[in-house]
Amino acid sequence: MTITIEDLRVLTLPLELSALLFLVLIADIATSSVRGKTFTGWLTFWGLCVVFGLTFVSPVAGEAFGGRFRADTWTLFMTRWFIVAGAVVTLGGIDRIRRMASRRQGEYNLLLLFSLLGMVLLIGALDLILLLLCFELSSIPLFVMAAIEKRKGQEFKLMLTAEGAIKFFLVGVVSTPIALLGLALIMGMVGDSSIAALDGATTSPLLKVGLLLLLSGMGFKLGVVPFHMWVPDTYQSAPAPFVAFLSTAPKVTALVALARILVSGLQNRSELWTPAVTTLCVGTLVMGNFWALGQRSTKRLLAYSGIGHIGYFMMALLVGDNTGMAMFLFYVVAYLLTNIGTFLVVEAVCGRSEDESIDVFAGLSRRSPWLAMSMLLFLLSLAGIPFVVGFWAKLYVFIAAWRAGYSWLVVTGALLAIVALYYYLQIARVMYMNEPKVKDPIAVKPSLAAGVLICLLGIVGYGAYPRPLLESARAAADAFMQTRSATVSVSLR
Amino acid sequence: MNQAWISTLVFLVVSAVLAASVMIAARILGVASKRRTKLTLTTYECGEEPEGPAWLKFHPRYYVVALVFVLFDVEAVFLFTWALILPDLGMLAIVDMFLFIGILLLGWVFALSKGALRWQ
Repeated sequence: MTITIEDLRVLTLPLELSALLFLVLIADIATSSVRGKTFTGWLTFWGLCVVFGLTFVSPVAGEAFGGRFRADTWTLFMTRWFIVAGAVVTLGGIDRIRRMASRRQGEYNLLLLFSLLGMVLLIGALDLILLLLCFELSSIPLFVMAAIEKRKGQEFKLMLTAEGAIKFFLVGVVSTPIALLGLALIMGMVGDSSIAALDGATTSPLLKVGLLLLLSGMGFKLGVVPFHMWVPDTYQSAPAPFVAFLSTAPKVTALVALARILVSGLQNRSELWTPAVTTLCVGTLVMGNFWALGQRSTKRLLAYSGIGHIGYFMMALLVGDNTGMAMFLFYVVAYLLTNIGTFLVVEAVCGRSEDESIDVFAGLSRRSPWLAMSMLLFLLSLAGIPFVVGFWAKLYVFIAAWRAGYSWLVVTGALLAIVALYYYLQIARVMYMNEPKVKDPIAVKPSLAAGVLICLLGIVGYGAYPRPLLESARAAADAFMQTRSATVSVSLR
Repeated sequence: MNQAWISTLVFLVVSAVLAASVMIAARILGVASKRRTKLTLTTYECGEEPEGPAWLKFHPRYYVVALVFVLFDVEAVFLFTWALILPDLGMLAIVDMFLFIGILLLGWVFALSKGALRWQ
């Protein structure tokens, strides 16, 4: 197989990201002052904005490397949202990283870009080996980013950071070989590494073992129950702007990788994987939401709520057809915007004091009414209350699952959404009803406020008018379900 | 079972037989003193007298240097194969390789600027 210029043209978007990566690398080498290192953060943000703008100028469609990588409506949709997530997280985290890791700002931004590059490549991958390599590229930088803050003189905090980062690292590196072994078994049974060939797999016990191993390996990365133990510890100890990224984009990446193999690859063989995914889905929904009830730390509460959300994602995957994927994508966008926004507010409120217990939010409505209102809207969106985007996301997933015959699963999900409403509103109650301990308003850096504002506009805007997002999600899902080479087209929307 | 897997099976059997036969041959042909003295129990280090335990702490700097070394080691592997088929590939391959070396050089400059090669 030879690689031609045409192949590279299909890879335009990832190549643009790589170019940005090199610019940031050169900027990091060229500067030595803290101020210069902060410049790498701004370069990353504005560079991502430019790449985002370029996706509207010249969308490319086509196949590269003999059909192993494809650029179409689906990759365009996902790339845009990953870039938005990366840009907002960079913007919201600039101040925190300057404060807590001033000498390592360049590395932080570089690692974020490496991770993004892996994600953007993964969504176009139509080959099991490429899929796994991209997934590793997207997840290995995160291990370093979780431990980016070295605290001088705060031994306890330092140990906590190290504990969370090491748990994350160990779980990450141990789960990869498990998933790899699963992939190897699947490839052995199929005789080919391309996604399109998966359909022709002979049903054998080894194939099922392979799928099970793959699901457990990816389950660790996703943090589904019973593979979730590292999630709350890592979220609690890592810097909040980084957790805003960790809790959204990598999870979506892992879900997309799973969807690529199960939903699009094995779309006519769904009896092979639905029982296992249903079990994981129910377990994750129930345990994630119930464990969140007793949490006194905002970050741990949001970690368990995030685990619960993975359950709703899996419900959308279980539907297993074009509609299910479209609703999955709608949920992805709602979750990206909402969860990033929530963690950025947590950073604004708890970032300075490093105390993230719920009590810190007491009387926030009187200290900083805007911050309290945006937190309330994010919480409502997480809970799925009309009319923010989270409501439509849950509703659409429920409708799709109901039509696919998962009525009992929908009832379970709806009941647990009520449980979730209780703990989300507990934060809201503390914000609005309790007396504040400190009266003075919270000083929020403009960059962090801008990050929160982007997420807020997104959830309110799409909550009021979800149709454009729904339509582009449908188009992307249709492109996603096409495994075999077809006339690849791309729409500018 | 796929036909191609037979060779894997043969490979596994041959490697197991080879490994076992070497050990059995050593047991039969080997000359060993019957007495268990301190000298017979020490590690054989090419005739030198062993010194100190093998369980040592290595400075983490070795790790960084080794990492940078591997980078250029792999580059050399690519360069040799590239040089062999260069006449067939033409101008594009030359541009490609210099791009590749440029990227690696950038990584090296990054390592230098971070002080990864400074030995303190």
